[in-house]
Amino acid sequence: MKNHSGKNCLARRKNRLVLAMRAVNTLLTIALVAFLSACATSTTTVPSTDREVDSRVREPAKEDSAGVQVFPLQNPAVKELLADAGTAESAGDFGQAATLLERALRIQPRDPEILQSLAEVQLQMKDYEQALNFATRSYDIGPRVGEICSRNWRTISVSREHLGHHTESVKAEQKATACMNTKPRGL
Amino acid sequence: MTKRKKKTAAKRKKAAKPVTRRWAGKIWRFGLLLFGVFLGLLVPWVIYLNYQVTTEFEGRKWDLPSHVFARALDLYPGALLPVGDLEMELKAAGYRSSDQVSRPGQYRVSGSNVEIFRRSFRFHDVDEKASRFRVRVSGGKVAGVTALPGGQALDLARIEPAEIAAIYPLQKEDRSLVKVADVPPLLITGLQAVEDRNFKHHPGIDLRGILRAALANLKAGRAVQGGSTLTQQLVKNYFLTHDRTVARKFNEAIMALLLEAHYDKSQILEAYINEVFLGQQGAYAVHGFGQGSLYYFDQPLQRLEPNQVALLIGLVKGASYYNPRRHPERALARRNQVLAAFAETGLLSKAEAEREASRGLGVTEKPRSRGTRYHAFVDLVRRQLAQIYREDDLKTEGLRIFTTLAPSVQEKAQAAATRGLLQLEKRGMPATLQTAMVVADVSTGEVQALVGDRYPGRAGFNRAIHARRQIGSVIKPLVYLLALEHSERYSLVSRIEDEPLTLKQPNGSNWSPANYGGKSHGEVSLLEALTRSYNQATVRLGLQLGVNNLINRIQQLGVVAEIDAVPSIFLGAVELTPLEVTQIYQSIAAGGYSVPLRSVIAVQTANGDELVRYPLRMMPQPHREAISVLNYALTQVVEQGTASALPGLLGKAGSVAGKTGTTNDRRDSWFVGYTRNHVAVTWVGKDDNSPAGVTGSNAAMQLWGGLFRQLPYEPVDLRMPDGAYWLWVDSQSGYLTGKGCDRAIQIPFIDGSEPKQSTACFAAQEEDEESFWKKLFGKKKK
Repeated sequence: MKNHSGKNCLARRKNRLVLAMRAVNTLLTIALVAFLSACATSTTTVPSTDREVDSRVREPAKEDSAGVQVFPLQNPAVKELLADAGTAESAGDFGQAATLLERALRIQPRDPEILQSLAEVQLQMKDYEQALNFATRSYDIGPRVGEICSRNWRTISVSREHLGHHTESVKAEQKATACMNTKPRGL
Repeated sequence: MTKRKKKTAAKRKKAAKPVTRRWAGKIWRFGLLLFGVFLGLLVPWVIYLNYQVTTEFEGRKWDLPSHVFARALDLYPGALLPVGDLEMELKAAGYRSSDQVSRPGQYRVSGSNVEIFRRSFRFHDVDEKASRFRVRVSGGKVAGVTALPGGQALDLARIEPAEIAAIYPLQKEDRSLVKVADVPPLLITGLQAVEDRNFKHHPGIDLRGILRAALANLKAGRAVQGGSTLTQQLVKNYFLTHDRTVARKFNEAIMALLLEAHYDKSQILEAYINEVFLGQQGAYAVHGFGQGSLYYFDQPLQRLEPNQVALLIGLVKGASYYNPRRHPERALARRNQVLAAFAETGLLSKAEAEREASRGLGVTEKPRSRGTRYHAFVDLVRRQLAQIYREDDLKTEGLRIFTTLAPSVQEKAQAAATRGLLQLEKRGMPATLQTAMVVADVSTGEVQALVGDRYPGRAGFNRAIHARRQIGSVIKPLVYLLALEHSERYSLVSRIEDEPLTLKQPNGSNWSPANYGGKSHGEVSLLEALTRSYNQATVRLGLQLGVNNLINRIQQLGVVAEIDAVPSIFLGAVELTPLEVTQIYQSIAAGGYSVPLRSVIAVQTANGDELVRYPLRMMPQPHREAISVLNYALTQVVEQGTASALPGLLGKAGSVAGKTGTTNDRRDSWFVGYTRNHVAVTWVGKDDNSPAGVTGSNAAMQLWGGLFRQLPYEPVDLRMPDGAYWLWVDSQSGYLTGKGCDRAIQIPFIDGSEPKQSTACFAAQEEDEESFWKKLFGKKKK
């Protein structure tokens, strides 16, 4: 019988296959990020748009992930509702967008994309507390890597900033940029 | 002489004349007086009638009952929906099985295919037109939805929601308002042809009509025709007196004249169309052609065929005498009379009228039910709405209330409750047992079903909302949650003493909690203590954590009720309602995302404009990783603990999480349980709170199992969030071990709480792993 420090055990005792796949995945994404966007995302200038959700969440998240998306398979019904919600959102009808997204959520209650989309709608409705909560939930049950992870943390960051939690907001933004090179745990 | 005679005669005459004249004058003066009095009374009387009739007409904002709808059923490939459930939902929404699916509201089941003609409906978000589609079900799931005709695949379709209740105004009248412009022209012209041919021209009363009626009556020797105009009938309907006195006729005539003087014909006609009495459904009067059409044909007025229009018009003469459901022959004869009048006046050709007269009545067998089955749930709806609406508004504004009720789940829950208690009686339990059940969606907090009484449809004391009872061991998971949240001190494999103890209560008395069965178990793991619901271990653990900390945690989980700070709270000496318990467990089942339980999602005006929306809101709980670890522990209650009989009741294995609860002297039986999609709480006990011989597993769990055996569900989500992960441990010692080692089980741990010791088997595997990494990367992995 040996004594171990907890952390050390954990790093080793996980399912080997998953670990190996994740290692490969991480290496690949690091390579991709390095290759495609030579300069780090935090220094990338983003074209400014009127909408905070685009300029501070969606566009930088796209940059962060360099097109790598880790979404679970989506039900076609959910896809249809997400598309309709997107249309309503572009037209500025946030109430309708939220209604459609909630309907999608009834079909797939644990879909990180739906939860994140709801968070982004709430961000535009200036309901920062709920935006924060939905983005956190999306991260908790989502892939915790890739574009959606970055959108999660950027939404959290923007919401915290509006709620007056500045240090926490900065921390969240750092988490966003790390979405592509930190190996998620506990899956 | 003659002259004299004449004179005297003249004199006499002269003398006589003043007498008659005097009389005539008297009569004349009296008449004048009478006339003056009459005029003096008539003018104010007319003014009074005028006031009455105009206020009635203008102020006539019909009190419209509010309509309460269930949730709309979404159909999409992958939806968990056996054919039986789909049929149950369709029936609740008033659909009828038919060999030919040719009209909205019909469906046909053939094997695993269900063809549906969906009605047009204004949903809480958008209007959708009537449409026909086929749903293919395979293995209890929707495999595909195709549009008909054409066969185009649909990603998403929905059935309009069942109307589960109407909240009625005091007068108990039911209406579905229509505008003249939306009424089929045949109804408008036909109504005049039958009831008042001179409507367009008369000033409110129709002398020619009265004459014609009188002649006809004379000829027949009895009253066969009425001379009342539509306007007079409207007035009669307004003031609801049906006595046939001259005075009433007189008032009616004056008021009709007054109405006509104030308003134009189309206004009067519209009022008539919405006012006319067309039937009686139980305690509710059916008023207006719009409602009449729904009541008799289950179709909107616009979609009626000529023979159906004729029947409705025929009913004006006497809705109960010609009641087509009770007296179909009378109704048929009356309808054909009306059709003949249509032909006579040229509204229909003779051939058309004959063809229509050859058809059946087309009346539905029964009117759509008023859904007394949903009393308990509607109580909850009223409670949620009471926060923003006055009861009066609910009864008069014709609101459209969209709720979360899932009819098939409600039906199954009530059946499970009723049947379950009967079975318990057969096993010797008291016949006076009562029950309550709440079923909610885990992620959205939407209440899908609510049972407040063992007997379906019985209104009255709603136990799900109002019965405040001790919750017993149902509280224990919260004690263990609090422990897990102190991850530096506790994990599921931490040890705790299950030994007798005695505590001094705040009131000075001693309290020595005993275990169920009277036995103590020595040192046990937290996991074992929770899954087997050991009282002494739980109280010891609770004392280490603090009474007040537990109370704070319960309140954080959404309970607002006041809780006494006594140690017996660790064993559930706190009174909560089934609904409150559901709220607590929603948070846990959703991995620490609390969502306030909702029964209403939106309210519209009668015209379909949105008034309120209740959006989904969630509050993250602190220490969600601890909640996820607790989720696992509660699946073990079912796998190997006090609820280990549950998989047998469900008829299948698979991770369901749950906890039993029993209170002192077996007064209350609780079971809370959840799957990935549903969280449900059942309570069983007696209303007078006397000992009932029930335990969590012998009563409430039986009902819960009876329900979930019928409910399609998915296993609990046991994925760990950030800050918690799965490790292999030795089930006896709680030491870290390797997969495949003896007694190895996988248990989730919060970062930092993992065991510090490990087995020899673990060490051996460590070596192997090092070499695996060596092979993969050619060097030792750090």
